[in-house]
Parts: sequence; structure tokens; C-alpha cells
Amino acid sequence: MTATATTPRTGRPGQEPLLSVRDLRVTFRRQGEEPFTAVDGVSFDVRPGQTVGLVGESGCGKSVTSLAIMGLLPARGNTVEGTATYDGTDLLGLPPDQMRDRRGRDIAMIFQDPLSSLNPVIPIGLQVTEVLERHRGMRRRAARPLARDLLDRVGIPDPDRRLTDYPHQLSGGMRQRALIAMALACEPRLLIADEPTTALDVTIQAQILRLLKELVEETGTALVMITHDLGVVAGLCDEVNVLYGGRIVERGERHELFAAPRHPYTSGLLASIPRLDGARGAPLTPIPGSVADNLPWESACAFAPRCSQPVQRCTAETPRLEESAGRALRCFNPVEVTR
Amino acid sequence: MTTTAEDTTAPAPEEDLLLDVRGVKVHFPIKRGVVLDRVVGHVYAVDGVDLQIRRGETYGLVGESGCGKSTLGKAILGLEPPTEGSVVIDGTDIASLAGEQLRRRRKDFQMVFQDPMSSLDPRQSVESLLVEGMRAHGLASDDAATSARLRELLAAVGLPAAALKKYPHEFSGGQRQRIGIARALAVEPKLIVADEPVSALDVSVQAQVINLLEELQERLGLTYLVVAHDLAVVRHISDRIGVMYLGGLVEEATADDLYTTPLHPYTRALLSAVPLPDPVAEDRREQVLLVGDLPSPSRPPTGCRFHTRCPWRQETRCADERPTLRAVDVPGVPAGHRVACHWAEEIERGEITPHEVTPTATTQDWRGTDEGDAIGPASETEAQVSPTGP
Repeated sequence: MTATATTPRTGRPGQEPLLSVRDLRVTFRRQGEEPFTAVDGVSFDVRPGQTVGLVGESGCGKSVTSLAIMGLLPARGNTVEGTATYDGTDLLGLPPDQMRDRRGRDIAMIFQDPLSSLNPVIPIGLQVTEVLERHRGMRRRAARPLARDLLDRVGIPDPDRRLTDYPHQLSGGMRQRALIAMALACEPRLLIADEPTTALDVTIQAQILRLLKELVEETGTALVMITHDLGVVAGLCDEVNVLYGGRIVERGERHELFAAPRHPYTSGLLASIPRLDGARGAPLTPIPGSVADNLPWESACAFAPRCSQPVQRCTAETPRLEESAGRALRCFNPVEVTR
Repeated sequence: MTTTAEDTTAPAPEEDLLLDVRGVKVHFPIKRGVVLDRVVGHVYAVDGVDLQIRRGETYGLVGESGCGKSTLGKAILGLEPPTEGSVVIDGTDIASLAGEQLRRRRKDFQMVFQDPMSSLDPRQSVESLLVEGMRAHGLASDDAATSARLRELLAAVGLPAAALKKYPHEFSGGQRQRIGIARALAVEPKLIVADEPVSALDVSVQAQVINLLEELQERLGLTYLVVAHDLAVVRHISDRIGVMYLGGLVEEATADDLYTTPLHPYTRALLSAVPLPDPVAEDRREQVLLVGDLPSPSRPPTGCRFHTRCPWRQETRCADERPTLRAVDVPGVPAGHRVACHWAEEIERGEITPHEVTPTATTQDWRGTDEGDAIGPASETEAQVSPTGP
């Protein structure tokens, strides 16, 4: 990857947040069924040049959070509450046409499966220039060299010829690069990546993660990384939010969080994954049950039925997210710090 | 599942082999034309693999998508007839069996699939799913014994007896995978081929299934062939591991050896690419970052299949001589650790250092006859590869 036209936007943690999500709540309603709250009061900040991770298993609300911020949830059948302030504007309150202007220009998103995010019947080049035409008002001819540079920048070999290729002619890793090129077309200040490497092989995953890391360092783009893979988070994110049942259960700087997880869910996750660099032979310590065995947050801790150290309060009261010194924790009986 | 000293040697032929795979190739024809149906090329999915698994052992087969690991698993079970080579399970060459004989032998080797939702019939109750195989192999003649056996099976995989009357959709992903395992166990197999047994499951549930597989092995003396892409999972459950790249084994070693002294450049890259859930280790580690993608298995590179992406590639031998799996003469590396690389010793001793690799465009599209000039040859050697087109 080569650095090109973009002027480096310096920005480090400590600055004003670029995106500030407060008390985000997404409820899905279906006729004849109880309303289901997929995201339940999620708050977090993202600063320029910072990478924030949202980690959790399927159903924890991590993807719905990103879709709600981007205004991509269907207009009917759900309610979105709370605020998502981007650069002084509440995105959740914007009318659809204004949101459309920002999407792709100020905030871009990369999805998990590049094949279903790309249009199969339109060449890659045209899909990249489309973004430039739409948001920068460029003519197609003028946009083409820029599209070529973008493909080159994300590490697609022979970009001139790739412009005319269709998505099916590219490999999975190349498709994801093409998608990243589209996301970068307008030099967004915020990038939301939803499981960007889950569909890829590990060696390709390493390439894409390296690319994202370089992007953040070079351009000062803020990155929200949504993933289930704690390994990806450990290498990439500055701050990590662990979600369970639609709520953040623990938050911390990555070194602190991994060195001393306080929530039983976080520590349980870490104990249940086989480590490539750990001792072999000892059985893993799984978290019992499945994500379906939740208690309602309104009257208890949702994780209590699967918890390794529940106390009586856990099934009787809702734990609150307590913040102190950059860490946040939602637990009545946190894991003792041994180190 | 402990690694003992004798595990470090490759099984000698006289050892208690359950599975002996010799020179297996699976080539899929690429056909074109509506009426004539000409064969215009082949996908060399598995291209000459030797593999031995001892009784009671867990052999892990790792590799990235398209390396042929799943096809090899299927070829071993006779689900995909090999183009060439022999598969001997427990003394019987399965190629010599056909029809009814093969069906009967299938009792000895069962498969656990990746996605339990699509491998379990949604309209069959758990009881019917489990009994079906037993009945087919004449194991369900006595009703009382069958019902006891079903309960025993469910207990073995950690499901309540009430599960018998339920249907697959009523279970969570982890529970469904347990049903899939119970179904494989129902006919008392000797060998279980598990193709990505945990990759469809949530992280917190994966460990439950991994532990279950290990417990069952200990109790029932099962032999596993685990096919997976997740190196950490494979390393955890396997005694020995084979690393596949583009249809062939490139390295084979015990789980611990493979991790501590990876000898093949591809294995090195693969190991260094796995993200570790540890920020300190992540910040410190040096990655061998591969460039480019897996070449198409319909036009595999000549010589060493990996030479187009190899950072240690040398001017001689790599491009024109296909390396075979061999033991290496490096102190501390046991004889059972075999690698298919011409320069493994030199690389390990640090006499050859990695260099830059220019990324080459690969394409998923095998059809274009003008593909060669559409993307240009990746290297001189790739240009020599015969085109797949007519």
C-alpha cells in the first residue's frame, strides 16, 4: 500500500470525540410478538485516529448498533432511541436524505461478506466511481483515475485492469479490498467495519487487518471495529467494548482489558478459546449454556445463568455500568484481579 | 489427549494403523459445452497426499479454503471417489468395495459436518435421526435395547433424554452439533472425520464441543480426522497435524513441534497470521505477511506450489521441482516432523532470509482463455504453466 493524495489528519485519543453514542436502544416489534430489545442502552465514544472495538457473540447487538448509527435499519418494525452525535449533529435525528448525503462521505461502512455488498453485475471500477460521482459531484471520466488510485492504495495489483473486472472475478480478499476502496473514496472521517475479515482466510485476514491499521495511522480515520474474534481486537483496537445481550458489560483499554478482565463473561470468553501460543493438553473451560439462555436485563443480569460466580443479587437486580479510571464494568461480583 | 514421546515419530507401516492413505488424488473435470461436454481442464483439488493415522489418534488437517482439505476428508470416506491412489481403512481398501459391501463398511467411518442445521433433516425428530443409521446397520433390532442406547448416546453428548422427541430447529447451534456427533456415534464407528466441527458455533460454545470430542475419544477410543481452518482449535485437539496447501501436504508434525518449530514457509506464515487474544503478544510478534491469494487449483504453479508467494523462494529448484514430504536434518527436530520444502534446513539455520514478493493477481475465473494476458503471468514460471483453455 502506498500513501497517496490524502492529507494526514492527525488525531489521537484525548481529543473531542468524533462520534458519541449515548443510550442507544433499538427495539424490534413484530405483530403478535413481544417487542425485542436488541440494543439496550449502549454508549461509547470514538475519537479521531482511534480504533474502538465492539466485541460479542451472535445476538449481542453489535451489528444492530452499527446499522442504527448508519441509519440502515428498515424504517418500519423498529424503534431507535438515544443519540449518536457525529461532529455536533445527531445522526439518529437526521431526515433520510441528509443521512444519505453523509453516508459514504463522512461515515463509511465495510461489511462482512464482500460478495453480497458488491453489485454482481457492475464492474468494480464503476462501483467505486459511483461513490465519487454521488458525493463529490465528479464526472465519471474524471473519477476514473481516482478510482484507479484507490484500488492501488488498498493493494489491488494491476488496478487499471481490475477496474473493468466484475466482483466474481476477484478473490475474497480482493473483493474486501475493493469494498475498502469504495469506503475510502470520500476520505471518511469515520469507518465502521462489521466483521470485515470473518469471511476471509487467516493469511488474507492478516493482510486486511494490516491495511486497516495503516489507514488509521496514516489518515487519522476513526475506526469502529465490530467482531467476535478477540484476537482481532487484541491486535487492532485501542479501546474494547464487550457486549452481551445488547448491553456493554465491560469496557477498557485493550492491554488492561486482556491482562485483567473483570467481567466473568470477558474472562470466560478468554478462557474458552484455544490459544495458539498457550499450553496444550489442558481441557478448555467453556462457558456453559448458549446465548439463548438469557435473563431479562430489566430484573437481573442477563449473563447470570451462564456465569461462573453468580451471587444472589445477580438474579434480582439490574447491574449498572460503573465507570472508573477508563474502565467500565457491569457486574455485582467481578473477577478478582490476580495480576 | 497427551503427547507421548513415541508420537514424535511418524508411524512406521507395521504400527497399528487405522487409516492409510497413499498417493490420493482427486481431480474434478472442468467441462464446457452443452452437447459435447468437453473436458477443458481439471481442478486439482487433492493432488497426491499420503497420510497415516494410528488407532486412537487425532489427526488435524489444516489449510485455507481451496486447499483441498475437505475434499480429502470426503475422499477418505469414499464420498468422493479418488481419481488415483488408495485409501485403506482398518486393512480394507475402500476402493475395492462397492454397493452393499461399501454401505456396510460405512458403519466404521462416520462424518461430523460443519453446519449442523443443514446436515440434520429438519423434519426428522432426534430419535428418528439417531435410529436411522442404527437401523441401516442392523443395530436397532431390539426395541428396549435401542431405547437404552439412544438415552446413552444423548447422555454421552450432554443432552437430556427429552431431546429425543424434539426437532433440530428447537436446539441451539451447539446442541445441534451435539446431535450431529451423537448421530455419528450411534453406529459405533472406528474413525470419525469431523469437517470444521466448531467453526459454525459461537466462541463460548466452541469449547463445549471441543471438550466433548476429547472426552468421547478418551472414553470410546475413537480415532479422529479433524479438518479445520482454525489453527488454534486444531492445535488444541490434535496429536499430529498436517498442513495442506493447494492440494498437497506441505508439512506434518506433532501439534507441539509444528508450533514451536514450523519449517515450511507457508506454515510459518499461517502461524504468524493467526491473531492472538493477547495485546502484548500481538504488539511484539513479527508477522510473515503473505502477498496475493491462493493460485487457482485448476492451474497450480509448477514445482513447489507455494513458490509464487514464498518469501524464501530461491532461484533454483523451487519453480521446477516439486518437493516431497521428507524428514529434515536439523538438531532438535524429530524424524516424524516432515516438510515439503527444498530449503527447509537452510531457512531454519537462517542461511536464507526472506525477501520481498511482488503481489500477483490471481483470478477466480478459470474460464477466460485470454486470462494469461488479462492479468499477465505472475512470474516466468507461471507463464510456463499450460493454460487451461483449449
